[in-house]
Amino acid sequence: MSEVNADQYFVPHKARWPIVGSIGLTATVLGAAHVLNSETTVTPWLMYAGLIIILVMMFGWFGEVIKESEEGLYNTGVDTSFRMGMIWFIFSEVMFFACFFGALFYARTLSVPWLGGEGTGLSTNEVLWNGYEGVWPTNGPAALGGHFEVLDPFHLPLINTMLLLTSSVTVTIAHHAMRANHRSQTVIWLVATVLLGAAFMYLQVTEYIEAYHLNLTLESGIYGSTFFMLTGFHGMHVTLGAIMLAVITVRVAKGHFKPDRHFGFEAVAWYWHFVDVVWLGLFIFVYIL
Amino acid sequence: MKYVIVVALLFVLFSLGQALFYLVKGKGQSGNTVKFLTVRIIASVVLFLLILLAMKMGWVVPHGIKMVPAG
Repeated sequence: MSEVNADQYFVPHKARWPIVGSIGLTATVLGAAHVLNSETTVTPWLMYAGLIIILVMMFGWFGEVIKESEEGLYNTGVDTSFRMGMIWFIFSEVMFFACFFGALFYARTLSVPWLGGEGTGLSTNEVLWNGYEGVWPTNGPAALGGHFEVLDPFHLPLINTMLLLTSSVTVTIAHHAMRANHRSQTVIWLVATVLLGAAFMYLQVTEYIEAYHLNLTLESGIYGSTFFMLTGFHGMHVTLGAIMLAVITVRVAKGHFKPDRHFGFEAVAWYWHFVDVVWLGLFIFVYIL
Repeated sequence: MKYVIVVALLFVLFSLGQALFYLVKGKGQSGNTVKFLTVRIIASVVLFLLILLAMKMGWVVPHGIKMVPAG
């Protein structure tokens, strides 16, 4: 980009990171699908390669945007494009989680009761699944994956909820500190937020190990599928949010943001709140109600 | 009690949505963004305490307790 006219919409040219990101995402999804659908144990090398490509892309793309921003190449038009990018990103995220929550609600309130004979499902139950009681949680009338036990919501899920809520409190304090131009306080509270996010992920992994000991696996029918899909994808979002917060923390420490100009910080802070609210929904609908 | 929890969660979502509105609107609306995010976290903490109270008082029984999974 040679020169910047005020308020002119900025279209980046020679951008190589989008195609790198597309290759990384395709490799990750293909690799993961191959592992999940294989009859035999497969080494997920394609998935790992994809994840590494995505990390390289994040490092490269973030770095390029930060460099261009610091060189003063961005005008108000670019600022608008960042905000539009954010709203589309969040729209896709909302649709993504709406699909999985929708699957959970459909199974719990409609399809499982039908198989149990509720509503118009009486003959279905009598002819196909006689004796099956459609009680949640269930791995379905065929008892896929065998007998399993569900996790105690008072134990790890409760601690994890407290950890994430606390991390949202710390990121909010950092937000207020940023607006008050207290840089060192902002850094301290952001570091606390990242550490709380890391603690959440550690406990989430511990919980998965516990679940597998209770024979609650990804193979455990509809409950296992919805449980691991919802909590697993949420965990990936926490990981991504923590990486973004860590980058923002370094940028705050370097003095990249001003009390009246800190969209990058604010967007990531909002994203962290979003991830926390999704967990609150998970805690309520997956573990409690 | 379930409905109270769901309504409280909807309020949390609404506050988060308002914060997003001011975030993408820009033009010096950062004060409103942080204001609604603060409302959102306060409401979330209150909701969490409400859930704890509801479980303690037996108004809500988590399905992980006293439950024999089907199959």
